[in-house]
Parts: sequence; C-alpha cells; structure tokens
Amino acid sequence: MAKQFGVSDEAIAGLKDPTSHPFPPDQKAALLLADAMTDGRGQVPDDLFTELRRHFSEPQIVEIAAVIGLFNYFNRFNNALHVDITLTDPDVLVRRAALAVKTAGPVDSLCDRVAEILHQERRYFWVGIYQRQEDRLVRHAYRGPAPSCHAIGLGEGNVGIAGQSGITKMIDDVSTDPTYKVCFAATRSELVVPIRGGGAIVGVIDVESDRPAAFDEEERRLVERVAALLASRLA
Amino acid sequence: MGRIGRLRPDQVGADVKTLFEAFLEERGNIPNMFRTVAHRPEILTTMLAHFRAVMGPGTVPVPFKEMLAVRVSRLNDCDY
Repeated sequence: MAKQFGVSDEAIAGLKDPTSHPFPPDQKAALLLADAMTDGRGQVPDDLFTELRRHFSEPQIVEIAAVIGLFNYFNRFNNALHVDITLTDPDVLVRRAALAVKTAGPVDSLCDRVAEILHQERRYFWVGIYQRQEDRLVRHAYRGPAPSCHAIGLGEGNVGIAGQSGITKMIDDVSTDPTYKVCFAATRSELVVPIRGGGAIVGVIDVESDRPAAFDEEERRLVERVAALLASRLA
Repeated sequence: MGRIGRLRPDQVGADVKTLFEAFLEERGNIPNMFRTVAHRPEILTTMLAHFRAVMGPGTVPVPFKEMLAVRVSRLNDCDY
C-alpha cells in the first residue's frame, strides 16, 4: 500500500533494515522512534527525542507518534486474532476468471490463467486444475511447487474421489485425512472442488495451503464459483 | 483462517454496510481487520474515523506516514 502512496521501491526495501538505507535525517529519526515505540516496552531515550525536536514541530511529533501507536494497535490486534491479510475480493476475482473464460484461447491456456489468478490473488500454496479424460483426471495447469504426478485415477486420493463423487471436500488437517494423497510435505490443509458440466463431472480444482484450516465457507464458495465458470470449457 | 469470524456485507447493520460499500468502491475489497472489528460496530465506526484522521493529510506527508506504518508492521511480523 505504501507503494501506491508514492514511496519508492528502494525506500520500502530499506525499511527491512533502516540503518542500511540512506534515509534523510528527519526520516531516520522518525524510523528510530518507530523502532523504539515498537520494541520491548516502548521506551524512547531522551537523545532520540532531542533529535526528533530538531526536525519536527510538536504537532508533527504527535502525528508521527500516533501513526506508530496506531499500527502497533492494528498489528497486535491482527496477530492476536489471526486476522489474515486481505486478499482480492471474491466478486472481483470471479469477474477476472470470467474474463479469462471469454478471452483465453485453448483449454490449457485458460486453465493456466485461472490457476494463476487463484494462486496470486488468494495466495494459495498450490493450485491444480484437472480435466476428466475417461477414467483419469489429467492436470492442465498448476501454480506453486512442481508436482510429481501428472494424472490421477478416478477414486484415487481426494482429487480422484471428487472427480468421481462430485462432492466438494474441505480438509482442515491433511495429516488426519485417510484419503489425502501426499504430494507436498508442506501442505497442511486442502480444498477439492469438482467441476460439473453438462450433467457430468468434467474436472477438479485442487487447492492446497501450507497453513492448517486455511479454508472456510467463503473460500469454498469462491472456488466453486470459479469451477462453475470453467465447466462449459472443460465439458 | 481467523480466530474470529469475518462479517460479510449481508451480515452487518445499515451503518456498517455503508462503510463496507465505501471500501469496496474505493479499493475493491474490505480489509479483513475491519470485517472482524464489525462485530462491534461502535468500535469499527470510530476506528475508521481515527484511522483517517491519523493517516490522512496532516502535518507530515502521507507517504512518510505509510513508510512508518510499513516499518512498524515489519517489526511486528504483520503483513501490511
């Protein structure tokens, strides 16, 4: 967000370690205040305050301290309650996927584009899109680490089961799921959504997360809407 | 997944709904933090007013304030 407000890439990179970037003295003093107010018990040494006074008026110091205090409030609230980072709104994402269905050429490039949208905009660890071909589900596209297998038999693992049953499955903890087929050691939770078209199951979207219980009803609805968009092209 | 449910626009009262719609209009999403705080509408309403007062145009440049917000969030290991 800072970027859209006109902060340079270099300055944003420099924020990882403000001592490594040549910030002007006023900005440096305010960044040191941010560090002092955020670390430990928030004690600010007198010499830092003297330096701040050299560069800023009292209203400016109040405003700077309020920004730092506010973000400590927000950050600690979010960390304590596990509030996830805000991702693209589901309606906006579905509109992007619908546009891809209209504009992307062959099925392969469409699936590739949709996998890209889901992976990028919802920050899933892994996304795979499969098409049913007789008794197998063949993967058209994926985003995330390279998987070892390319096709899955119907009824095999959660993807194969969804391809057969047509039922969405949301798994909070894959380590306790009897039908989860391990592909990546990092995967902790999974969402498997069948794609239905023309009265049959024509494919499956498989989404995996490296966090436990990453999927909720909202994610499920979102991936099901994307599956419905792909249905006509995979049928 | 958050420890507290995130409210959707169809789950909130008229006042909060107006705030949510303004977010959707302005930035294309409703921040999850505000959807969480929406369980307490008075806190959400005053939080947003305070957020705008602190982060909007004032006596120091807005980009500079954004930079401080990024630094604090990095120190707190919070994505921002």
